[in-house]
Amino acid sequence: MKIEGKAMQVTVKRTGGFTGIPLTKTVDSATLPQQEAILLHQMMAAADFFKLPSTIPFTPQPDRFQYQITVEQEGKQHGVMFGETAVPASLKPLLNWLMAQPAQPIND
Amino acid sequence: MISSQNKSKKTKSHLKEGPHICPICCILPPHMIDHIIKHGDEKMRTWVMETMRRSEQFRGRREVIGNLALAPSTGQKRRTVYDARKGERLPGRLVRSEGGRKSRDVAVNEAYDGSGATYDLFHEVFERNSIDDRGLRLDSTVHYGVQYDNAFWNGNQMVYGDGDGRLFNRFTIAIDVIGHELTHGVVQYEAGLVYEGESGALNESFADVFGSLVKQRSLNQTADQADWLIGGGLLASGVNGVALRSLKAPGTAYDDPMLGRDPQPALYSNRYTGPQDGGGVHINSGIPNHAFYLAAMEVGGFAWEKIGKIWYITLRDVLRSTATFKGAADATISVAGDIYGQSGNEQTAVRKAWEAVGVI
Repeated sequence: MKIEGKAMQVTVKRTGGFTGIPLTKTVDSATLPQQEAILLHQMMAAADFFKLPSTIPFTPQPDRFQYQITVEQEGKQHGVMFGETAVPASLKPLLNWLMAQPAQPIND
Repeated sequence: MISSQNKSKKTKSHLKEGPHICPICCILPPHMIDHIIKHGDEKMRTWVMETMRRSEQFRGRREVIGNLALAPSTGQKRRTVYDARKGERLPGRLVRSEGGRKSRDVAVNEAYDGSGATYDLFHEVFERNSIDDRGLRLDSTVHYGVQYDNAFWNGNQMVYGDGDGRLFNRFTIAIDVIGHELTHGVVQYEAGLVYEGESGALNESFADVFGSLVKQRSLNQTADQADWLIGGGLLASGVNGVALRSLKAPGTAYDDPMLGRDPQPALYSNRYTGPQDGGGVHINSGIPNHAFYLAAMEVGGFAWEKIGKIWYITLRDVLRSTATFKGAADATISVAGDIYGQSGNEQTAVRKAWEAVGVI
């Protein structure tokens, strides 16, 4: 699947953990510096994101994090949910990069 | 003194659905594990016990092998603290063991002291021999990951992050967080509450309740003197809040632009029914948390003495892995009657508490 070049919005939502406080980070490739936008597109392609299942099975463990990554591109949307104890290797770079982005204030 | 009149330990289901965490347990069939435990030499037994301890199968097998004398059961506190040095390999480098000198690292000492206070509560008040009731060594790893905003029990040991410093401080800072994590271990070895939905919220609530009791006992506080907070001091300066959760007033611990607002309900009618956080295990725990608080306040005195004991016996002897709030309410009322008499003050306080939060 060719996804380079087309603008995409990517959201990661982290839930669970001891605090139980959800954390959401959203990036829009159109507003990223070019180098970062290219990196994002490369990571998405490497993960073959749109072909991943919507839930990657994991055994719940007390106080661990769960992640939901959602991508929107040209009206197409896909989400993938997985646990901290079973992060697919292909998604690790994308997850780490997303989590390093600045957090936005919560709007209830 | 902790032995309850309620001796009818119900048969519980141990078989976990879904994939096992421990690959060795998948390779070794259960009958072989039993054989090694019964007939293997000391080294083999230690290895198998360690393997089983790593998986939640341990709880089930423990009953299969009955009261066979196993590995060390010294009835002594044995603590070790490791440093992951911002990595994610467990356990990390050994930095302090039982009786060892104080470290210059405050997180190491907090993990050491907090696990000691938790061990003492369960041992001195509830006559429990460590987390597994068989003298399990208490292992803690500090400085896990980079700016890691979390603490957890991985089935075998405690793990603490340093926090990001902007929203959260280091997770060893609150002694009730340490008590909380270790209690997840106790729950794993006893009721084995499935970490999802109401049983998951009960799992969380037991962890908060005994976490708070560890703090109250370390400060020698009666129910009305305690702050009933979980994670006091954990929120970084500048965050608008006092803690993560409040057993006294669920939903009031924080209200901050970055963190949002404490979502915990105190009433069953306001429970969260969505899919997040395993069906809201950290949200709906506010309901049984508040029930415990109300019962403890009604009875008065040190909360661990009577209501704490009722909750502990319920967890140890009565609850099944898929227990509901209603089931937990009925069980605590029944245990209160067994220990302190039917329609006594204690049982009445427990019943009234569950009624007040709308569970019964």
